Amino acid sequence: MILVVAEQRDGRLNRATWETIAAAQALSADGLPVKIVVLGASVGAAAEELAAAGVGDVVSVEHATLGAYTPDAFTLATRQVIESLTPTFVLLPHTYQTRDFAPMLAARMRKSLITDVTGISGTGAAAAFTRPMFQGKLAAEVRPHGEPPFLVSIQIGAYRSDAVRKGNAASVTPMSVDIDASAIRQAPEAPFQEARQAVDLSQAERIVSVGRGIKSQDNIAIAETLAKAMGAEIAASRPICDNGWLPMERQIGSSGQTVAPKLYVALGISGAIQHLVGMKGSRTIVAINKDADAPIFEVADYGIVGDLFEIVPAIVKELEKRG
Amino acid sequence: MTRETLEVDVLIVGAGPAGLSAALRLAQLQPPHGGEPLSIAVLEKAREAGAHSLSGAVLDPSALRELIPDFRERGAPIATDVHADHVYFLTQHSRIELPIIPPPLRNHGNYIVSLNQFVRWLAEQVEAQGIDFFTGFTGHDVLMEGERVLGVRTGDRGLGRHGEQKPTFEPGVDITAKVTIFCDGVRGNLTKELLRRLPLGEGRGPQQFAVGVKELWDIPPGRVGAGTVMHTLGYPLAQSEFGGAFIYAMSDRHLSLGFVVGLDYSDPQFDPHMAFNRFKQHPFMSELLRDGQMVRYGAKAMPEGGWNTIPRTYMDGGLIAGDAGGFLNSMRLKGIHLAMRTGMLAAEAAFEAIRAGDTSAASLKRYQDKIDASPVRAELYPVRNVHQAFGHGLWAGLAFSGVAVVTKGWWPTDLGGEAGHTRMHRLSSGKGSESVAEPASNATTVDRRLTFDKLTNVYYSGTAHDEDQPSHLLVQTEVCSTICGPEYGHPCVRFCPANVYEIARDPDGTPRLQINASNCVHCKTCDIMDPYGVITWVPPEGGGGPQYNGM
Repeated sequence: MILVVAEQRDGRLNRATWETIAAAQALSADGLPVKIVVLGASVGAAAEELAAAGVGDVVSVEHATLGAYTPDAFTLATRQVIESLTPTFVLLPHTYQTRDFAPMLAARMRKSLITDVTGISGTGAAAAFTRPMFQGKLAAEVRPHGEPPFLVSIQIGAYRSDAVRKGNAASVTPMSVDIDASAIRQAPEAPFQEARQAVDLSQAERIVSVGRGIKSQDNIAIAETLAKAMGAEIAASRPICDNGWLPMERQIGSSGQTVAPKLYVALGISGAIQHLVGMKGSRTIVAINKDADAPIFEVADYGIVGDLFEIVPAIVKELEKRG
Repeated sequence: MTRETLEVDVLIVGAGPAGLSAALRLAQLQPPHGGEPLSIAVLEKAREAGAHSLSGAVLDPSALRELIPDFRERGAPIATDVHADHVYFLTQHSRIELPIIPPPLRNHGNYIVSLNQFVRWLAEQVEAQGIDFFTGFTGHDVLMEGERVLGVRTGDRGLGRHGEQKPTFEPGVDITAKVTIFCDGVRGNLTKELLRRLPLGEGRGPQQFAVGVKELWDIPPGRVGAGTVMHTLGYPLAQSEFGGAFIYAMSDRHLSLGFVVGLDYSDPQFDPHMAFNRFKQHPFMSELLRDGQMVRYGAKAMPEGGWNTIPRTYMDGGLIAGDAGGFLNSMRLKGIHLAMRTGMLAAEAAFEAIRAGDTSAASLKRYQDKIDASPVRAELYPVRNVHQAFGHGLWAGLAFSGVAVVTKGWWPTDLGGEAGHTRMHRLSSGKGSESVAEPASNATTVDRRLTFDKLTNVYYSGTAHDEDQPSHLLVQTEVCSTICGPEYGHPCVRFCPANVYEIARDPDGTPRLQINASNCVHCKTCDIMDPYGVITWVPPEGGGGPQYNGM
C-alpha cells in the first residue's frame, strides 16, 4: 500500500498534495492501493474533498496538538499512522513542512527517506526514484534499501495535479493518535508578519517574471498590469530583487524559489543558468527579450524577440478585450 | 545581548592544509608527552572542510609523508602519480615545447590531487582524533588585549540585508585560546587585521599575489595520458604580464586546467577570466577540449611574493601559517606542502609554548626558528627574488630564475617589489592595452561550450549564500560614480572572476556600483587588486560560498 500524507491549512489542501497523489498513482500503476492520510485539529472538509475525488481511502487524523504545526506533533502522529497502516511507501509533498519534519520521522523510524523526487521509473517494489544532485546539474536514480516503509518526498511541480485520475467517492476512516502534549518541545506562536505576507510562488498556476530588461522600478507596473490581466503572480530574476524593486521572496532561481507553474512569462530575462534551474519545469514558457541570442530562448516554448515595452501593453489590451 | 564564550588551549582558524596539519600534529604530540590533553578547536567558514579549497594541484608529498607516513594505506585521495612534464610557449596560433624542463617544474615523485578531496580526507583524519570542528563558522574579528591575541569572534548569523536582526539571529561566539593559529588562507581577513594592528610587516616587502581561474573538464579518452602535467607561458598574455596556464590530467578523461595571472598587471581593462577564455580558444586547447564538457569552475588568489614578503608570523598568543603567511613557492607553483609544513611547525611551537607556560611572542618565536631550520626556508630562500624579477617582464624573470637556479639564489642585493595594485595604469596614461587579449566585454565571444560568461561559470562553482544578509564586500569610499570611471574604467568588473561587481546606470546615466555579493567565490582578488584599495572582503554568514567538489 502507498500512503500519501496530505497537507492542509484551515481545511484547504494545497496543490502539492494533489501532485503527490499523482505521483502515488504513477508508482502504483494499479498494483498497490493508495491511501491518503490528512492530519490536523479539524480536517473534516479536507478529508471529504479527498474522498469525493475517489483517489483512494482516506484516513483522517484529528488531534488538538495538530492544529498549529509543530515538528514533534507531526512526527509523532505520522509515525503512529505509518506503524498502524504498514504501507510500503509513504509519499509526502516536498514542502517546507515536510522538509522540516520528515528527516526526523525517518530517523526515528530508522527508515530510508528519498527527498525531492522528480520522477519514478518502474512500479511497486521495483521502483527507482529520480532526484536532483549538485543543484539540479545531475539527476540520480535511487533505490531504497532495507525494510519498508520507504519515505519519499515529491518535488513540487514534478507531477501534475490535474493528472490525478479520479474515481468513485471513497470512504473516510477516522484514526486516533496518542500524543502526549508534554512530548512537544516547540510552542508555536501565531504566524508573524513576514510569514503572513510571504507568497508561496511554488503554488502559483501562472507567473509573470521580470528581469533586467525592465530597466527601472517604475516599469515594474507594466509587468504588474500583465500579471493582473492574466491572474498571475509577479516574480523576478535576481537583479530585480537585488535592487529592491521587488521583495526577495519573489525571486526565482537557484538562490530563490523553484517554481513549475502552468504558464511562465519571462519579460526581459536573459536566462542565466541560475534562473533557468528555478523555472525550467514550467509547463509552458513564454519569453520576451530584445536579444535573440539570450539563453532564455533555449528553454522557451514561445519566444518573442522584441521590445517588451511595446509587446506587453499589446497583450494586455488583447486580454482586456476578451474580458 | 549575551554572547557565548568558549575557552580552549589552541584555536585554529581555517580547515585547509595548514590548519588541518596543525590540528593533526597537535593530536600526535599529546600522547608521547603525557599530561592533560590540550583542548583544540578548528573554525572553518565553509559548510564542510574542503568546500572552499581550490588548487591545481600537484602535491609535493614531503610534508604529508612526515605527518601521515601511511597516507597511502589510509586512502589518501591521490588521482595519479605524475608521469610526464611538458612546458610550452604559446604564440597566438602555435606552441613551442621547451626542450628541457626547468628544474623547479619537474614533478617526478609528485602526485596530482584534487585539493578539495585531499582536504576532506585530511579532515577525516583530524576528526578521528576527536578534535572539535566548527564548520560553517567564520572568524570575523580578532580579539585582542593590547598586543596580545586572545582569540577570535565568530560572525553573527541571521542578519538581514540592512544589518537588522532576523528571527534567526544568533550573535557570534567569542572563542579564546592560549594560542590562536591563523590559517585563514590567502589574504585571510583575520591575518589582514593582524597586519594592520601589529607591526608584523616591518622590514618585509609588500605582499604580492596572483589569481587563478580553474575549470574541471571531462574529455573523450585517448588525447592525453593520466598523470601528464603541462604548463604554458605566453599567449594570451603580454610580455609584461606574469602568468600562464596549467593542465593536469587526473585521468585520461578528467582534466584540471586553469590560468594564473599575477595581480600586478598594468592594463585596467585586463580581465583574467577573459584571458582564460582566450587561452581555451587557442588551437592547442580547443582541440584538447573538443566535445568535452566543463563540469566545475572556481577561482582563488594565491600569495606569490615569496620569502621576503612573509610577515612576522609569531606574536603574543598568535601564529600565522600556510597561504595566510604567504608560504608558497611561486617558481614551483606549489604551496600545499609548505602550508602543511608550517601548520605542523606552528602546532609544535604552540604545544611547547603552552607546556612551558609562556605563550608570549618571545616564546612563540620558536616557530620562526623551526621554520628557519626546516625545508621551508631551504626551499623559499634561494628563490626569494624570482617573483620580483618577473616584475620586470617575462624575459627578465625567466633569465633571473635561471640564474637563481645556478647560483642557488645568490644575488648581490634583494630585489624590491611593490604592491601589485599600485602598478595599474590610468586610462589616461595612453598605455592602454598591450595584451594580446584585447579587452572585450564578457558576453561577446562566449559560446557556452568552450568558453563561458562569468555568471554561467559561477553556477558551476556551486556558490550559494543566503541572499538576505549584509553585503560582505565593503566599499569604504564611494569612488565608482565619481573618479573610478574616468581614471580606471571600473576594473572591478573585470578582475572579479565571479561577476560580483557590475556597473549599473541610473536613468540620468550616472554609474552606480551594484554588488552581487552572493556570487562571490571567496577568491579575494577584489580585496587585493582594487587600485584605490577601498574594497574590503569580510566573511559572509558561515556556510556560504563555493562548493568545490573535486576541485
